[in-house]
Amino acid sequence: MTSVADLVPSVGALRAALDDVGYLADEGIATALFCAVRLPQPLLLEGEPGVGKTEAAKALADVLDTPLIRLQCYEGIDAAEALYEWNFPRQMLAIKVAESAGSSVSEEDLFGREYLIGRPLLRAVEHPGPRPAVLLIDEIDRADDEFEAFLLELLGEGSVTIPELGTIRATHTPVVILTSNRTRDLHDALKRRCLYHWIDFPSTERTTAIIRRRVPGATESVASQVAAAVRRLRALDVQKVPGVAEAINWVRALELLGLPVLDEAAVAMTIGSVLKYREDLELALERGSVWVAGPA
Amino acid sequence: MSVGAGRTGRAEMPLPSAPGVARLADLADVAARFAALLDAAGAPVTAERAGWFAAGVGVASPLTVADLYWLARVTLVAERAHIEPFDRVFAQVFGGLVDPADFRGDAPPAPPPARGTSRPPRAGDPTRPRAPGPPGAAVTGGDGDSGDGGSGREVVTAVFSHDERLRHQDFATLSAEELAQLAGLTQRFALAVPTRRSRRKAPAGRGSEIDVRATLRRSRRSGGEPLVTVRRRRRHRPRRLVLLCDISGSMEPYARAYLQLLLSGIDGPRAEAFVFSTRLTRLTRALRGVPPDAALERAGRVAPDWSGGTRIGDALKAFNDGHARRGIARGAVVLVLSDGWDLGDPALLGREMERLRRLAFRIVWVNPRKAAPSYAPLTGGMAAALPHVDAFVSGHTRAAMDEVLDAVAGVRARGT
Repeated sequence: MTSVADLVPSVGALRAALDDVGYLADEGIATALFCAVRLPQPLLLEGEPGVGKTEAAKALADVLDTPLIRLQCYEGIDAAEALYEWNFPRQMLAIKVAESAGSSVSEEDLFGREYLIGRPLLRAVEHPGPRPAVLLIDEIDRADDEFEAFLLELLGEGSVTIPELGTIRATHTPVVILTSNRTRDLHDALKRRCLYHWIDFPSTERTTAIIRRRVPGATESVASQVAAAVRRLRALDVQKVPGVAEAINWVRALELLGLPVLDEAAVAMTIGSVLKYREDLELALERGSVWVAGPA
Repeated sequence: MSVGAGRTGRAEMPLPSAPGVARLADLADVAARFAALLDAAGAPVTAERAGWFAAGVGVASPLTVADLYWLARVTLVAERAHIEPFDRVFAQVFGGLVDPADFRGDAPPAPPPARGTSRPPRAGDPTRPRAPGPPGAAVTGGDGDSGDGGSGREVVTAVFSHDERLRHQDFATLSAEELAQLAGLTQRFALAVPTRRSRRKAPAGRGSEIDVRATLRRSRRSGGEPLVTVRRRRRHRPRRLVLLCDISGSMEPYARAYLQLLLSGIDGPRAEAFVFSTRLTRLTRALRGVPPDAALERAGRVAPDWSGGTRIGDALKAFNDGHARRGIARGAVVLVLSDGWDLGDPALLGREMERLRRLAFRIVWVNPRKAAPSYAPLTGGMAAALPHVDAFVSGHTRAAMDEVLDAVAGVRARGT
């Protein structure tokens, strides 16, 4: 039984381990994840869409060899969907069975653990170990602010409260990672309880390395060409700045079409995989496919 | 400890003192002092965070300045706006040893001119550069005015101040009478926002579908027999209301009154407030949950360009790029309060209005000048914006504000 401290003894070791599972972490994100695991404290990750916030959590779960429990937030999410719900049909069934057998069930039995449907937060808290689960609370900014308040107990104490059962304390406090796209300001009370890391777009070299890692068939030259082209497109005043995910999709598209290099013709055929707005396409085409493709 | 590959430059330099954790014997003291420096630089640090930093040094044993930088940043910084002051303080403490730029990836694309950031400048900073206005702007204003056949007063207001006047004007001086008048609007303003269907459902006596779960729950009272069916239907929630208020010189007589209205909107649960003249400033946080006087005073502090010139196109672009695209304007009612006298390029304004049109549920443009009998929307900016506006109202008096509320609620669609 390997403990977390053995698995990630240092930031460097975590970085190498993340690398092994296919996530190229820079020092910042590696330090952030290290602190989240070892302090341990919840970690709030922010950054433009497509810089790998969600991927970071997945990779961390791989490294720790524990389940990744994901809670996708949306407007109107509430306790029944995030924490727990009573299994009413099963409770009814138990009553009926008891009736037909001529006995009765007590209320304590009906509100026992076996009649509880565990939703992501409860599952994360109840994870039996040996290592804590990774709980990804994705796009917290989409949830209502009441839901933020609802999370505070989990983030602060590592426990959840179910009125009928009482407080359930985690034996292995889950590693909590929250992500936000900044559609709205999060409450200070939530921020106060979290480590914070802003993920920037990776440099061209790192983008190249990530592409090569994610698209094994891609050659070094295509990967670096695409990375440089994405960087050029970012400098344009586009509405949706292309991220790493777009760069990877672009290389995949080139690979699928059997295009060995990113030249003018290839750009014209595949630019739709990086730019998703008509205005952005026009802007890029104004500069010309040659400019996008860059020097051969 | 294996040192991660790929570090470059000065960041690889070892920490100045002898290696080992023992050198930071009084770690708590170091952390506390660092936190105090950050506080002073505008990136407040809670005691809790300072504690995390100290604990982090304990478990991570940083060997290089880069290690320490990231450890400190992850633990001490609470939001993106604080990263810059943090970098400054870190560079100051480890002066010359480190250039924070070493730690970044690609630099973000250079922001277009006059693009708004929501970070308030420090009060009374005399070193702030004055933003020069574009040449020929006064000519633009004059052109625009020619259609108005305006009075002398209008001509005066058409001469824009080209400097962004960074005065911290005290606009908490609305008379008690004015405040009382406007306060009556508060309730209706919150109610006036149209609703949208929510994906969630609420119990409803005559709802369209049966809530099986609730019916079963209910049946426990009748011994497990589902005697009463519980019904539910989709909930309707108020749409978000986004207020974009022009606080440029030409709008000054109205801006005070409208900011009060803006405050009323903010009280609603789903309202966002922005002000702009040469830049865009998000006011939502500054205004929320404080009494009107304090909120107005606070807004004056946050918005740096109270009564400067107008760049509506740039401000809208900043709004679309930064906030609208992320979801604030999606399906929302957008209320623009401006006279449409724009120093910038009308084509840009038209383009940005078109973008906003595609995101928003309804756009209401309030232009106090519309009330003048001789007014025609001929100023470059206004003419460019109008095709994308759902309702165009004057709202120049208390009575005309009712018209604004109706337009927000969609009672009378006053398309142009």
